[in-house]
Amino acid sequence: MKKSLKAIAGVVALSLGSSLAMAADYPARNIRMIVPFGAGGGTDSVARALAEYTEPHLGQPIAIMNRTGGAGAVGMTAGANSRADGYTITMITREIVSLPKLGLMQVDSEAFKMVRLVNFDPALVTVKADSPYKTMGDIIEKAKANPGSVKFASTAKPNFYALAIERNQDVTFNQIPFNGAAEASTAVMGGHVEFTITGPGEVKSQVESGQLRPLAVMAEKRLASMPEVPTMKELGFDVVSGTWRGIAVPKKTPDEIVAKLESAIGKAVADKDFVAFMEKGNFFIEDKSAAEFTKFIGEDTKSLMPIIEKL
Amino acid sequence: MFEYLLQGILATFQMDVFPFLLAGVTGGIAIGALPGLTATMGVAIMLPFTFGMGAGASLAMLIGVYVGAIYGGSIPAILLRTPGTPASAATAIDGHELVKQGYATKALSISVICSFLGGLVSTIMLITVSPMLANFALRFSAPEYFTLALFGLTIIASISAKSMTKGLIGGFLGLIVACIGLDPITSTPRYTFGVMELYNGLSIIPVLIGLFAISECLLQAEQLNLGAGNAIKKFSHSFVSRKEFREFLPSGLKSSLMGTLIGSVPGAGADIAAFVCYNEARRSSKKPETFGKGSLEGIAAAEAGNNGVTGGALVPLLTLGVPGDAVAAVLLGALTIQGLSPGPMLFQNSPDVVYGVFSSMLIANFLMLIVGLLGIKLFCRIVEVPKVLIVPMIAMLAVVGAYSMNNSMFDVGVALGFGFLGYLLTKCEIPLSPIVLAIILGPMAETNLRKSLMMYEGSWSFLYERPIVVVFIALAALSIYSTWRIKKKVNASEQEQAAAA
Repeated sequence: MKKSLKAIAGVVALSLGSSLAMAADYPARNIRMIVPFGAGGGTDSVARALAEYTEPHLGQPIAIMNRTGGAGAVGMTAGANSRADGYTITMITREIVSLPKLGLMQVDSEAFKMVRLVNFDPALVTVKADSPYKTMGDIIEKAKANPGSVKFASTAKPNFYALAIERNQDVTFNQIPFNGAAEASTAVMGGHVEFTITGPGEVKSQVESGQLRPLAVMAEKRLASMPEVPTMKELGFDVVSGTWRGIAVPKKTPDEIVAKLESAIGKAVADKDFVAFMEKGNFFIEDKSAAEFTKFIGEDTKSLMPIIEKL
Repeated sequence: MFEYLLQGILATFQMDVFPFLLAGVTGGIAIGALPGLTATMGVAIMLPFTFGMGAGASLAMLIGVYVGAIYGGSIPAILLRTPGTPASAATAIDGHELVKQGYATKALSISVICSFLGGLVSTIMLITVSPMLANFALRFSAPEYFTLALFGLTIIASISAKSMTKGLIGGFLGLIVACIGLDPITSTPRYTFGVMELYNGLSIIPVLIGLFAISECLLQAEQLNLGAGNAIKKFSHSFVSRKEFREFLPSGLKSSLMGTLIGSVPGAGADIAAFVCYNEARRSSKKPETFGKGSLEGIAAAEAGNNGVTGGALVPLLTLGVPGDAVAAVLLGALTIQGLSPGPMLFQNSPDVVYGVFSSMLIANFLMLIVGLLGIKLFCRIVEVPKVLIVPMIAMLAVVGAYSMNNSMFDVGVALGFGFLGYLLTKCEIPLSPIVLAIILGPMAETNLRKSLMMYEGSWSFLYERPIVVVFIALAALSIYSTWRIKKKVNASEQEQAAAA
């Protein structure tokens, strides 16, 4: 009986061809991680650290590939269309939900199999240190008085942080697109653009050195690392927004490979050095398994739909 | 400051740092010399190896690779007309001409001396005036980037001195190629025909490899078939003379400074700097008509310019916490992984790391000069290898190089396609450099023009309201004017010759 079972298993394995054999010795070579935003930004930092702490658990190096453009559409589309063999993984961000609904991306979250969510960052509004805007209210007031007069450095277009504020307060900003938070915050420091909204980690060193001044955080409660910064809600603007980052692979990737990746990334996220890195960088760990991650994306789609429909 | 620097230099010479720096420089030169492997890739490839090292050794090695690779790209650019990295595309123009005239040693020695000069000047500026450079960089916004690209694009006129029409054909061809991919502002696909690989546009590396390396192989193969060109070329072993040194030193120094400034501006890297410096050197040269025909100043400007970027690119990284170019972005990753947060706080929190970076830069440049000078004899042997052997080897390296960029067979196809295109264009005497130039600068010009218009709410007033913009526009106008003047001069001398005959 055992023998025949083995034989059947063997035949099945053979008939499944290379994919199963591939899954068994996965990963046999180095893995590429597509990062859809520019090097040096928040997504890039998290991706690089995650890659570093995941490598030992997979036993293979993970190379980062920044594929920028189209507010993340280029990199994520490339990721979704890559070979479903687990050797190209993609760091996906909230844009995977928004861009397809806007018709700016041919693939959507359905093209991916979620592996693991690692991070959720509330959005932080910052201005140049010597900016005339002292509070978030100043910006809203100026934009209300003079629609489109306040220049906003967008890290991605359309920018849902700004859109959420625009819809909620019925104002319009002049949105100028940049390639990621590093470029956007440089433009603010240079005084060419008036404010930007990024993850707290993306402007941490500039805030610490006093080049950028945080005005408000778009979270439910104040950040432990920046207790002096009020939330939008406290200021009377009922807007909560943020971005998240997770790992996904093309839909057809075998489940065995997804499971291996999921567990390796899970171990990396729990690594105390990774936790320390995230704390230092002002990134917030949000560990969700593949199933939870898929559910989470469904919910996020629901929350973004009202904003997108109004566009 | 000097005390810290001295400590840094002493620390760099310790056995736990120095071997890594030397390995980085030597490895970097090799990486740069191989077509398809760029400085960015070299540093990114080395990054995982540095995780286990201390911050000093890790940064020293990465900086060594960076400095070495930017120089290394010029070796095949000069000897084989195959730029190892996009940063050396401008060097190929005059460098290879000089080799054809039999001065391979001279061309290579100018290249290494000026690379060293550029690296040294930019490092000294990084150490002494980086806060001022950072202020300069912060004044750069979309209008400045747009006009910088515009100034760079006027070089199309100068590299196509023979026939302006043909040069412009090349330039526009490049601009069309640069349009492929998602629109940078609205993300609308352009000329992608639903082909996924085209969504991010064509990568510059396979295009460069195709246009230069593969087309050169085809041309050489054709020559071989015709029975010509198989003779081993004799070439002069002479280095640069003191007189020549004095001749190209000014443009080398100016390009070093310009390279540093361009490097300190986030978003403009070594490839752009090389072209812009080359253009400026030609504009201000006493002998502009020699550019494109083996001008020593041309090589000096391109090489000092691209290595000048190395120090400049670290300015925004250390002062603002944002990377100045793609390589600095990887270095930022290296710092973060070492638990350091780049930016102005680094000077206060870990001055040892900052001065370690400074001294590694300094010593890496000296090592590059030594390794480069010692290597010249060896590199020159490539010219002595019979064509029947060297052509297939270049073809093979070119294909591997095109593949290795993104591990993509599509890129190999792109390289081969552009190889045939380059062959045909050369037959029609359409210069290839304008194509590369337009592919590098075209998207920069487009994105930033559109951003500027958004910032100024549709008004064109940014063209005269911003001082740096005005300077770039003036330089662009001067560049076109000088091309016209040179052309007149050349025509006049040709007529004189005709009359005399």
